[in-house]
Amino acid sequence: MAQATAEGGLKPAMLGSPRPGGWDLFRSSAEQRLEGVELPGQGEEAWKYLDLRPLWELPFRPAPPSRVEACPTILPEAKASRLVFLNGRCDPHHCSVAGLPDGVAFRTLVPGEAALGTVLGEEPAFFPDLNAARFMEGAILRVPAGCRVVTPLHLLFWNQGGEGCPVVLPRLFVHLGAGAEATLVEEHAGEGAYLSAPVVEVLLEEGAVLDHERIQREGPEAFHFATLGAQVAGRAAYRSRTVSFGAWISRQEPRIRFTGEEAELTLDGLALLGGRQVADTHSRIDHAHPRCVSGQLHKCVAGDRSRAVFNGRILVHPGAQQTDARQQSRNLLLSEEARVDTKPQLEIFADDVKCAHGAAIGQLDPEELFYLQSRGFSPELARNVLTYGFASDLLGRIAVPSLRRRLRHAVLDRTEGGAQLEGL
Amino acid sequence: MLSIRHLTARIGETEVLRGIDLEIRAGEVHAIMGPNGSGKSTLGKVLVGHPAYEVTGGEVLFQGANLFELEPDARARAGLFMGFQHPIEVPGVSNTAFLRLAYNKKAEAEGRDELDPLEWEDFIREKIRLVEMDAAFLDRSLNEGFSGGEKKRNEILQMAVLEPRLAILDELDSGLDIDALRILGEAVNRLMNPDRALILITHFPRILEMIQPDFVHVLNGGRIIKQGGKELAHELEARGYDWVKDESLAGRA
Ligand SMILES: Nc1ncnc2c1ncn2[C@@H]1O[C@H](COP(=O)(O)OP(=O)(O)OP(=O)(O)O)[C@@H](O)[C@H]1O
Ligand SMILES: [Mg+2]
Repeated sequence: MAQATAEGGLKPAMLGSPRPGGWDLFRSSAEQRLEGVELPGQGEEAWKYLDLRPLWELPFRPAPPSRVEACPTILPEAKASRLVFLNGRCDPHHCSVAGLPDGVAFRTLVPGEAALGTVLGEEPAFFPDLNAARFMEGAILRVPAGCRVVTPLHLLFWNQGGEGCPVVLPRLFVHLGAGAEATLVEEHAGEGAYLSAPVVEVLLEEGAVLDHERIQREGPEAFHFATLGAQVAGRAAYRSRTVSFGAWISRQEPRIRFTGEEAELTLDGLALLGGRQVADTHSRIDHAHPRCVSGQLHKCVAGDRSRAVFNGRILVHPGAQQTDARQQSRNLLLSEEARVDTKPQLEIFADDVKCAHGAAIGQLDPEELFYLQSRGFSPELARNVLTYGFASDLLGRIAVPSLRRRLRHAVLDRTEGGAQLEGL
Repeated sequence: MLSIRHLTARIGETEVLRGIDLEIRAGEVHAIMGPNGSGKSTLGKVLVGHPAYEVTGGEVLFQGANLFELEPDARARAGLFMGFQHPIEVPGVSNTAFLRLAYNKKAEAEGRDELDPLEWEDFIREKIRLVEMDAAFLDRSLNEGFSGGEKKRNEILQMAVLEPRLAILDELDSGLDIDALRILGEAVNRLMNPDRALILITHFPRILEMIQPDFVHVLNGGRIIKQGGKELAHELEARGYDWVKDESLAGRA
């Protein structure tokens, strides 16, 4: 069928390539789920706002190995706790894990060592299934019970576009034992046109604490379809912030489930879009146990002809009493042609709960603009300062100082003349 | 320094300024008084270029140049400043970064060097001492959650940082406690010199005891209906505005 090839260039290209070693059962069941499944289309409710037609005609192929001379980004705090993957393969030249406590594993995943797919579940889903079927090398972070890792860990997935449209399928498994603590920076970046479909699974046992900073700054022609699954046990805390600057078309799909009582979740997101960028976040939080607290702040800045989508679903299951769930979607439109679609979705099946959500879409406040102008700021600078102000509270929460600074600069770079804001 | 001739302006369909003439020379302090809604804030905002108001006639020269040919930010960089009656809150932008940027923009326009972070620290420390502000306010977002009086203090801090040639202070005294009024009154006095001028919009003579005006103007219905010296403020305090309005009606009849 002609249509099938048009829409399905990605799947045949990947499934037609040799299956990498390890996880045979896991991979073959993913292949089975993919049978008869095509790239999601706008006919599907969950993909209604994301037009994937630009992917139809592309000559996808598995990404070839790649090299870089110098490590593209270095966080000073994580000099000796860094893993670098180039086009989906770990590059030992740029890795250094000398600074980690005994018993902490931060390295390439060994076949059989982690029960991949258990956190995410086996519900069919195009991109995670594609990842399961053909991911090259995975990464693992395992912190034993009671171990507090003070040094932040940096995991960089660097992708190199090129001939055709290389496909990279990064995979990460994070497992913190009871009472363990860590800070992980997961960064996706690259150059040229390529497609990356990462899958991250996070398993937090009783009382574990993970700060998870996720940076998406893929190249401007790239596609990025990320899936995150997390299970948060009793009294554990999962604090995740996703900052999206890059890619042409991108999607974040975090799915968080509490598996015990009195656990805590922060699920923040910031998307800064310009040009013709499209960024979609579809999140799901499952409050399945009593007395868990979740806070979700999602912010989008949409300039030029960009488009942002937010769909935040929160399910409070029967019996999840005294759940405290707050969700905010705040959006700033910088141009007439930019567009934001936001949809909070609270489904509550317990009676003793505190849930609040709100969504706001707005432009820069003319009174604020005038106030700055009356102090000598050019209109352009005033707009940049206010845009920065909108994004800055979220960046301020990032747990790694050098990363916080770098991201602030990245926001400033996105606003013309932003260099003047140095020191803000 | 500032010549206002036959200035008229409106907001929406309402003609708020209906022919203002005012001459302000360097070194002078002018007080503008008048009943609520008479157009005092409007006059100030028209001068600094608030986009809600439309100038319908007349002209204003500021330091010899046509003020209305300058954008609001250029007016500020040329030395015009208004301390607002109701300062705006700007979340997410730290007070100190905002002040530093404002200072550097002005320095750049005047061909002076910007201050590096260390020089800035010294500079701003001296300024907050002048207005007796707690340094903690520097790290907060600009005016966000500031009380009415704290916002006014922050306006004077901005004035101290920018050192304008002509400052328009709109009801600086409203919302200030007695000590704050004294501190900020003294700060404003110290910021005055023979090259600078001041327009004080107020309802109360108390602040005029602290910052002595050379002229007092009474605005009513968008016109200046009476001018006098400092003693006029006390007369108004004692007698209200009706007699001035009556006098002006009689004068025009
Ligand atoms: N946005 C607006 N829309 C309509 N009318 C306005 C607007 N802003 C001001 N006005 C009107 O313009 C007139 C002058 O207002 P202005 O704020 O200049 O008065 P004021 O003399 O400063 O008063 P106050 O002493 O109460 O501060 C008032 O009648 C006011 O209602
Ligand atoms: Mg007023």
